Amino acid sequence: MVLAMSSIDTNTVWEIPGERAPLVDNHDSLSTVTSEVLQAAESPKPPLGWYIALSVSSLLASMFGLMIGYLFFTGVGVWGNANPVMWGFPIVNFVFWVGIGHAGTLISAILFLFRQKWRTAINRFAEAMTIFAVVCAGTFPGIHVGRVWLAYWLFPIPNQMEMWPQFRSPLLWDVFAVSTYFTVSLLFWYLGMVPDLATMRDRANTKLKALGYGLFSLGWRGSTRHWHRYERAYLLLAALATPLVLSVHSVVSFDFAVSQLPGWHTTIFPPYFVAGAVFGGFAMVVTLAVPARQIWGLKNFITMRHLENMNKVILLTGSIVGYAYSMEFFIAWYSQAPYESFVFVNRATGQHAWAYWIMIFCNVVSPQLFWFRKCRTSIPIMMFVVMCVNVGMWFERFVIVLSLEQDFLPSSWAYFTPSWVDWAMLVGSFGLFFTLFLLFIRFLPVIAIAEVKTVMPEADPHDPRGGALEHHDDHDDSGKEQTA
Amino acid sequence: MGHAPKSITLGEEHRAGPEIRALGSKASVVGVSGVALAAILSFGGFLGGSPEHFFKSWLFAFLTILTICMGSLFFVMIQHATKAGWSASIRRMAEHVTSNLQWIWILFLPFFFLVLVGDGGKVWHWMDPAHVDPIIEGKAGFLNVPFWTVRAVIYFVVFFAASKFFVGTSVAQDASGDPRLTLKMQKWVPGFIVLFALSLTFAAFDWAMSLEAHWFSTMFGVNLLAMSFCGFFSLFCVMTFVVQRQGKMLNEVTQEHWQDMGKLLFGLGIVFHAYIGFSQYMLIWYANIPEETTWYLARVAGPWAPWMWFLVFGHFFVPFVLLLTKHTKRCKPVMTAIAVWMLLAHAVDVYLLIMPTVPAEALANASDWADFAAGARSGSIDVGYQPQLTDLLLLIGFFGFLVSGICRSMTKAPLVAARDPRISEALAFENM
Repeated sequence: MVLAMSSIDTNTVWEIPGERAPLVDNHDSLSTVTSEVLQAAESPKPPLGWYIALSVSSLLASMFGLMIGYLFFTGVGVWGNANPVMWGFPIVNFVFWVGIGHAGTLISAILFLFRQKWRTAINRFAEAMTIFAVVCAGTFPGIHVGRVWLAYWLFPIPNQMEMWPQFRSPLLWDVFAVSTYFTVSLLFWYLGMVPDLATMRDRANTKLKALGYGLFSLGWRGSTRHWHRYERAYLLLAALATPLVLSVHSVVSFDFAVSQLPGWHTTIFPPYFVAGAVFGGFAMVVTLAVPARQIWGLKNFITMRHLENMNKVILLTGSIVGYAYSMEFFIAWYSQAPYESFVFVNRATGQHAWAYWIMIFCNVVSPQLFWFRKCRTSIPIMMFVVMCVNVGMWFERFVIVLSLEQDFLPSSWAYFTPSWVDWAMLVGSFGLFFTLFLLFIRFLPVIAIAEVKTVMPEADPHDPRGGALEHHDDHDDSGKEQTA
Repeated sequence: MGHAPKSITLGEEHRAGPEIRALGSKASVVGVSGVALAAILSFGGFLGGSPEHFFKSWLFAFLTILTICMGSLFFVMIQHATKAGWSASIRRMAEHVTSNLQWIWILFLPFFFLVLVGDGGKVWHWMDPAHVDPIIEGKAGFLNVPFWTVRAVIYFVVFFAASKFFVGTSVAQDASGDPRLTLKMQKWVPGFIVLFALSLTFAAFDWAMSLEAHWFSTMFGVNLLAMSFCGFFSLFCVMTFVVQRQGKMLNEVTQEHWQDMGKLLFGLGIVFHAYIGFSQYMLIWYANIPEETTWYLARVAGPWAPWMWFLVFGHFFVPFVLLLTKHTKRCKPVMTAIAVWMLLAHAVDVYLLIMPTVPAEALANASDWADFAAGARSGSIDVGYQPQLTDLLLLIGFFGFLVSGICRSMTKAPLVAARDPRISEALAFENM
């Protein structure tokens, strides 16, 4: 074979079969990795853009808090929720944010089990994103309980009145599913960060930093025994987190699917919701990754190949979502159940048809661009598509929830109109999300430094750069030992 | 990965020997005699056999092996779609299963014939004008014989083309070693996955779901995919074991690969399958809408109930526990024993998909669950419960055809994709 990696630009998304392009670009040694990754957290002053972004987002987050206060003092009437749409924006936002929270654990757990080494560059901030998204998600049902001072009734706490939550309600299953997911994701994120926190502790230039990072690095000294236990725990958590990726959004889908409502009760909901969540989550990862790699100079770690891989996942999961939409529509007709057919035809032609077609365009049509490598590797095009998906996945939940608008009693049919508080809360939740994310970028290692190093040739004992003697491979005629 | 050779020099241990050839011939004999015996029983009316049952039983046996072959195609396609390195040395074994998709349509010809002579109603009641009611009439745009036939032809064309393309290109690479063939497969695989997903889904609707033309489930296609995983990964372990027993492929399919085959059987064939099955059942049970529950009532209320329980424990709980640890997955005899068991569970799974019938009228008239269950158990309500020797004979016979097909494929092409550009990665692959 005359094709050789060495003759090809290493930042290309191309890979000659049999060769693996490097996952980290422009690095001849491990030493520069740490300083480059930690630049965002260690630079004495973050860029001006960070201050602006933080001001805007924390302002919006404060508005979110203000709105919650207003809600508490006034009651759920401040929302647009009204019979028959008894849960409008709060549940839409809840499902939307839980969905966003899927990519992180998928990347960290499932891609880990599938040995997808490219995940190391994006897993850390995808996991962070997961946690912040679940925080936003958890807020909405938490404040939608009517009498908020009794919100603790969500949990099955023994009490003298023998009052128990309704165990047969999928909303209660949600409490368990989401809190389990949050706990495991947080543990996973934190555990993976311990070695990097220790690195930051060792490089700390102020007492406060040394104390803070020192406290959270749990006395990590990088001994072999530490690593051994760390890797076992990591594998175990990955195995535990994998079913959670499926379960949490399956349970969220049960909120709708166990009902008897046309448009909600359909058996494909669990896997369809999971695929949709991964779809929306990955879109959000790309949304954040593209500017982050630009601003903090992480292009050597989050390469075009990483982005392309994520775009492929978006194409795949988008197609699964498209498949599910079609199956629903087809079976609605095939079932010959008039109410079922009505709901679906009404979605596409009724009073909220505009929302339906936004959803179809954003979730099904726009990702089709990713069939073409040119589109997968073009920053403007991918930003366009992932923005579409972000919007589309919110509208998907909106469309599903709004099936309530025209229920079995035509006299109660109405046009659902969200209130200004609804909108303010939706925007405010984005503020909360971005505030947390910006703080994360400023204070924590955005890329799993220790993990990235393990996928570099320097960490491979079979590689000359990893210390191996130059081996004599008779068949190796492809100029494999290219320098990155 | 520098220590593993760039390609494999084909030797005796990479080619099917006389044992495989002999096994193939034996399997064909088993196949022909199984089918012949079943036909004699059914058409002669012995041991309660009947032509109607024969065709339904045929459909069961056909779908049992079709799902296995579809699972193998899916596995092969995923390897290309993900540019997998670890599996390069075991992919050819899967391709030997996939190649059966090139002739499997022959086993479907009896149905084409049945439909042609206007007897399709013997299997799919909606084809029988006597059974048509307003609901079925409403579905006539989809459920009509000409369209059904055209669709079946399309599915087989897709399966044939995909099998020909992936197996053919891979075998061609044995001769040329050209990495461009790998790129070619990578280029076309996403399109094939889309065609495959649609074919599998609608085949599931046409051949299995429409057996009860009133009933519907959006999950049904995904369910058949999950079943395909189980069938294929089980067979994969068993056939690898048989081949390795003859001293072949010992260096190419290592313990590491065995562990991963076990993981795939565990993750996709057992856990994912249970997830899909549970979701479908739970949602229908919970909403309790009469249009939907009928399908499961026929399966859980009467004589089929023990079979369903068998699936719960035999297809999920027991193998789930057994395969949790890596020790079972890395031990070939244990793994093979579990895989044989899972093949059996897979057959039962398909059997329960095809054979039970929904007694619509009895369900409408039954006063309550107990009433219906008692009737179904006593036989006064017909839920299609007639396990017969025919079923077993056809199942064995069809497995005979499948094994003989695999053996024939193995005699034609080596057991390993020797010059796959990623072969060195596969040979050096380690789990831990």
